[in-house]
Amino acid sequence: MIMSSIWQNILISLTSISNNKFRAFLSVLGIVIGVLSVTLMGTMISGLDQTFEKSMSSFRSDVLMISRFQWFDGDKEWWQMRNRPRMKPEYVDNLRNRSTMIDAIAPVMERSGEISRNNVETYARFFGTTPEYLKTNEEQKIESGRFFSNIENENGARVVVIGNGIATGLFENENPVNKYVKIGRNKYLVIGVIEKQGSFMGMWSLDNQAIIPFGTYQRNFAKRGWMNLRVKTNSEDINLAKEEITAQMRIIRKLKPLEENNFGINHSSGFEAQYNAIKFTIAGVGFFITALSLIVGGIGIMNIMFVSVKERTREIGIRKALGATPFNIMVQFLTESIIICLMGGVLAISISFIISDIINDFFPSTMPIKLALFSILISVLIGVISGFIPSSRASKLDPIEALRYE
Amino acid sequence: MSFIISLKDIERFYDVGGEVVRALDGLDLNISANEYISIMGPSGSGKSTLMNMIGCLDTPTNGTYEFENEYVHEMDEGQLASIRNRKIGFVFQTFNLLPKSSALRNVEVPLIYANISKKERIDRAKESLIDVGLEDRMHHKPNELSGGQRQRVAIARALVNKPSIILADEPTGNLDSKSGVEILNIFNQLHDKGNTIILVTHEEEVAKNAKRMILILDGKVKSDIKN
Repeated sequence: MIMSSIWQNILISLTSISNNKFRAFLSVLGIVIGVLSVTLMGTMISGLDQTFEKSMSSFRSDVLMISRFQWFDGDKEWWQMRNRPRMKPEYVDNLRNRSTMIDAIAPVMERSGEISRNNVETYARFFGTTPEYLKTNEEQKIESGRFFSNIENENGARVVVIGNGIATGLFENENPVNKYVKIGRNKYLVIGVIEKQGSFMGMWSLDNQAIIPFGTYQRNFAKRGWMNLRVKTNSEDINLAKEEITAQMRIIRKLKPLEENNFGINHSSGFEAQYNAIKFTIAGVGFFITALSLIVGGIGIMNIMFVSVKERTREIGIRKALGATPFNIMVQFLTESIIICLMGGVLAISISFIISDIINDFFPSTMPIKLALFSILISVLIGVISGFIPSSRASKLDPIEALRYE
Repeated sequence: MSFIISLKDIERFYDVGGEVVRALDGLDLNISANEYISIMGPSGSGKSTLMNMIGCLDTPTNGTYEFENEYVHEMDEGQLASIRNRKIGFVFQTFNLLPKSSALRNVEVPLIYANISKKERIDRAKESLIDVGLEDRMHHKPNELSGGQRQRVAIARALVNKPSIILADEPTGNLDSKSGVEILNIFNQLHDKGNTIILVTHEEEVAKNAKRMILILDGKVKSDIKN
């Protein structure tokens, strides 16, 4: 019985809406824009999340980076940290011996330059590190070939493991393994290719890396230079590992108890905090715009519902005379306002589905199904809220007055 | 003798711009089953207020209104709607049909509010339309029907819930004389079948159809004649 009366109300509403198609369309536009901004904003944030997660995959939560700088340190400016002592290769063995929480540790030196083959040149990011590096970066897998060995590292062999981007850039359809490339004035043998990594936050590519043995790097590029230590801990508690390594580093650096740390131990949570700050700013602004457009949309619906109630005053009178209770009338007009909003919501979801599909070509964006359901819910809610006052006014009309209304 | 409707010492006051208008001023009226009553009175006599009162569209300021053992003067909006739905069939001067709905849909409306299933609703609405001779006009909208036909749809709608009374307000007022006679004939037939009919009018010719004529003046029953 209840189902049938709901259905009756839906039928009445649809009839009334289709009697004023253009008006309904205009009033629906506000809701469309509101829901559109909900769905697009949500889609964008979920795209950002996906990108961030993918970008951070090379920096897992059990990895620490020891360097001169402490990232995202609010207390210190970069120039205050600039003159701290460098990291030294000796620290690697030293730390490994002292700490019980280190699973793997590798020094990483870094610079950019050109890599070429047969006069074809491309930009590359060079890393000089030890074979243990692979253990500290489990997301980077060798697609073909191999990583270099300890012996190659110690001998300073001219071998290189290249990123996927360089492989396709210099070799196109050939297999690069066991072929030579030129770095600076020297020839290097390509011994391995790393799987495609994608880009970091859609900004810089991780596929243009060229990893060479640490010894080779020091011999051919620089003995001393920008360096950090990459540590994979075996501790469940990353903060404990951080404290322990900090203590060991202080001993290595011979710091007195009152002296400040002159090194930084960095963790992905620093990135995450930074990212979350950006995300919340976007979400905050987005929420404001969205709320505003939904309110405007809701006011539009309320307006149109007042008009609808006014126009149908006599109908309300007739229905009341024939036995409609105030509740019946209320539900009838609420249904109408919900249906109008639902139409707007569905329309908006369809549009944003198309838009997010187009954006997806440039930036990862897919609309989560939860978001679509949430938008439907929002539309219904707007329908209830903006329909409430007009419907309750309709329900309270005096049947005698309403019947007399021309 | 028991009455369907029993109005005792009914008062209905309106406040119009700070001045109290005594539309009904101590009115008593009893109506039995299967009566055919006409209510007459000049404008301002309280005739319309009385009709709204009997129709449970309005409640008295003072006095008691008993309708088949239910106390209407104590009812709230929802209860009034329910009693209108179950016990009163309205016929209006201006028909008051829903303009965008077919005759059948119009007749169905009271049954919707009585929570009757769709199938039974359609069956009963059709039956009711057949009773007023509109079996071939069921799917026409009001603007495709003549005045007399529209009023017959309204009568079908009034009958569809098998009400205790039929309350008609100037039912012939908007009709030409031929259609008016037709409608009055339908009322006579309905009365012969056992229905209780209350006819509000200011035309004496129309009022004479009824078996009992009540004249309202200054919010009271002035005369109550059986013919």
